[in-house]
Amino acid sequence: MSDVAVNRAEEIVFSALKFQSSAERAAFWDRACSDDATLRATVETIWVEYTDGECFLKECQPALSPGAEAIRLLADSTDFTDEVSAEFDSDKIIGSNIGPYKLLQKIGEGGCGTVYMAEQEKPVRRRVALKVIKLGMDTKNVIARFEAERQALALMDHPNIARVLEARATETGRPYFVMELVRGIKITTYCDEHWLNVRQRLELFIQICGAIQHAHQKGIVHRDIKPSNILVTMLDGVPVPKVIDFGIAKATGGERLTDNTLFTAYEQFVGTPAYMSPEQAQMSGMDVDTRSDIYSLGVLLYELLTSKTPFDQNELLNSGLDKMRRTLLEREPQRPSAKLDGLQAEELTQTSLHRQVESPRLKSLLLGDLDWIVMKSLEKDRNRRYQTANGFGMDVQRYLNNEPVFARPPSRLYRLQKLVRRNQTTFASIAAVSVALIAGFGTSTWLFFREREARREAESARRVQTELRAEADARAKISQAALLISRNDMAGADHLLDNIQIPVVEPSLEAAGVFHTLGNWNVTQGRWQVAADRILQLEQANQVDKADLTADETRDLLGAGPVLIVAGDLKKYRQFVQVTLHRFAGTSDPVAAEEVMKNSLILPADATTLQKLEPLVKLLQSSVAQNGPEVAKNNYLIPWQPLALSLYEYRCGNFTNVIVWGQKCLDYSNPTPPRVVMVHIVLAMAYSRLNQPENARLELAAGREPIEKRLPDGPEKIVDLGRASTGNWHDWVIAYFLLHEAETFVK
Amino acid sequence: MNNITLVLEAVSQGDGHAADELLPLVYSELRRLAVARMARESAGHTLQPTALVHEAWLRLVDDDNRTWRNRAHFFAAAAEAMRRILIDNARRKSRLKHGGGQQRLNIDDVEQAAITPDDKLLMLNDALEQMEKENPEYARIVMLKYFTGLTNHEVAETLGISESTVERHWFNAKRWLVKKVRASA
Repeated sequence: MSDVAVNRAEEIVFSALKFQSSAERAAFWDRACSDDATLRATVETIWVEYTDGECFLKECQPALSPGAEAIRLLADSTDFTDEVSAEFDSDKIIGSNIGPYKLLQKIGEGGCGTVYMAEQEKPVRRRVALKVIKLGMDTKNVIARFEAERQALALMDHPNIARVLEARATETGRPYFVMELVRGIKITTYCDEHWLNVRQRLELFIQICGAIQHAHQKGIVHRDIKPSNILVTMLDGVPVPKVIDFGIAKATGGERLTDNTLFTAYEQFVGTPAYMSPEQAQMSGMDVDTRSDIYSLGVLLYELLTSKTPFDQNELLNSGLDKMRRTLLEREPQRPSAKLDGLQAEELTQTSLHRQVESPRLKSLLLGDLDWIVMKSLEKDRNRRYQTANGFGMDVQRYLNNEPVFARPPSRLYRLQKLVRRNQTTFASIAAVSVALIAGFGTSTWLFFREREARREAESARRVQTELRAEADARAKISQAALLISRNDMAGADHLLDNIQIPVVEPSLEAAGVFHTLGNWNVTQGRWQVAADRILQLEQANQVDKADLTADETRDLLGAGPVLIVAGDLKKYRQFVQVTLHRFAGTSDPVAAEEVMKNSLILPADATTLQKLEPLVKLLQSSVAQNGPEVAKNNYLIPWQPLALSLYEYRCGNFTNVIVWGQKCLDYSNPTPPRVVMVHIVLAMAYSRLNQPENARLELAAGREPIEKRLPDGPEKIVDLGRASTGNWHDWVIAYFLLHEAETFVK
Repeated sequence: MNNITLVLEAVSQGDGHAADELLPLVYSELRRLAVARMARESAGHTLQPTALVHEAWLRLVDDDNRTWRNRAHFFAAAAEAMRRILIDNARRKSRLKHGGGQQRLNIDDVEQAAITPDDKLLMLNDALEQMEKENPEYARIVMLKYFTGLTNHEVAETLGISESTVERHWFNAKRWLVKKVRASA
């Protein structure tokens, strides 16, 4: 065999190494060799040599990789005295200097390093906390990553955040962080030792939410929120929680998939898996954002309430890497109140004692709102959690004020869907990593393939990143808008949302809130086109889960109808009608059905639309039959249903039926003005068509007056958004258009 | 400028004896670190040879002298140290097992379970020694990858060559070694 041919064959085998499956490899060889049988044979030979080589190298090592084995041998050698460097012996290090800092005493030991109290002399005299990072971490990168965030970290100024002052390295290259010294104890310990009751614990928690919010607004995600990172210190007799270690998790964690960082990420992971969010547990390099912190806050709250974490730390650690991830990604945690059931009597007594409440009382305290608040923050899907730390804190505050909270138990449909839904996590590559981690690094083949894979992942990650960045940007803007809204700065909030493209808006209940508010605000400003935009953005944000929309949310959504007409965009209005018909086609909720019908029939509709409405018609008819005027005396939603039906009959041309339904509607008490008005107008139109001009005129007059009073300057000028009892602006606007239509032919 | 830096300097300038001096210096530092590490950490942790060598590098050589050339020599010495430790250990165990003088194992024995990994390591070592003479470039890569656990990227950095070259050499080295082992049996 000529040298050239051998080289060619080598080239072919080498290039095919990237393929994982033998099928792909064979296919590649076939293509590369085409008809050359000898070449193909050589390729096979070379491949066998290569795999033999791999096998042999593997066989040469006992349990550990050669390097690891060598280290073990080195360490075991007995002819060696205990000449351990002072730097490793933490006791000997006390009193020595690291940079400008003099170490005074050791105050803690963490997952990634040791913490000391230190004193600085120049340029300023102060005491600080110094965290020396464990060895094995790539110093230059740790410091570089820290520096990247340093600007933002420096801007943080919040009473509940311990500032990280700087990141440096020792002479021998070990990185360390200098932080504001916080003399305090772990929050969970503090609460238990001082017997803080549930209210007091929640009050501390709300402060922590404020701190995290502050950081998020500076663009900093903590990534490692857990009790040991929240110390409670006393200031003037008042307990103050302080969040520490900002910026450190990111700097030391890193996202590059090299052996070193994987290992340290593994260490961190193994350190406190109970607090890791599902997306962090995936370790796929996926963009871990502020909502990951929200999850960790949820775990913290859980622990403050029950002294347990949703998943037991030891259980997680003992179950192996794969199972650990599976649990965090897929298993539903118990509600806090339910978790108490699993405790032994003594444990329950202790837990209750620490919260100054009697054992049976604790469960009832947690049952209900607190349960749902916690569970909302622990949702696997980060879009379903609280989107901001402030949002989280405010819900807790609402609970304390005895106001209704936003968190709700999931609907039956959603729960069913969750059972059926399976997470699409790829465990293949993760499993490979875990095997290697446990078996010890050093198998060169494994490293070879790992690098290839890492490179491929990096490429696709880069593509996804631009998309992710746009999404993250939109999300950040929405968060900020929510904050501005809470401060009543509607104009500011609206301005932020101007540039968000609709497809980029991720579904989330909180985003829906923002768009709803701003949609309404724009209506009061007379900016109808913008209002329409906001509502369409709201539509996007509401993709969260159809089954979960409340009546209010449905109404908000459908309110786009009148807005689009006022904005003059009839084409969009008609599209919108089709979209909503499609979306609510299968609804079994008569309230939603009524809104859909009403909003779809503001203008005359075509046959297909009417046909699509038929199932809703049946639904409404049976609802009205079951809920007559006597039964629905105090219900202000039911009476809209016969109105919707009369409007439907009108659009179909069944004028006598219109009268029937119209009369039925008037039989109900609770005369919401726009509803009554609309009935009059629809009756007017029907009478006119039925050639009863006198009746028509009477009805029209009854309908016209209230509308002229309410909308003196036409539908473009909405000053008051209205309430359910006086009528929402949506309904007044619809009434207006119906009046306008009636006036064209009723004399 | 400390002791080891001087030695590295000498090695760079082609001083053959200096290389001999380098080895024990690196060896003792590695030993010190290994002992300290084992003492501090619990048994469950896996050992990372790269980290240890890296640490030794950072501890022994200061900022100003961390040139890539020095690094290349240092890491090569570390890899050599680790190789010797393993080979010494393997020889000792082989002697205990097979009793007395060096026995040449033949290829059929390789397939049997009776042949321990240590025995195979010795065979590998022989092949490696030959590789050092016939193809030193490959040998350097085998040393760094196999005994020190460096990634392709790190090897490329250390030797000042491209990563794809490293990949290719590693690919060929594996074939070369196993062929040599089988041939000599």
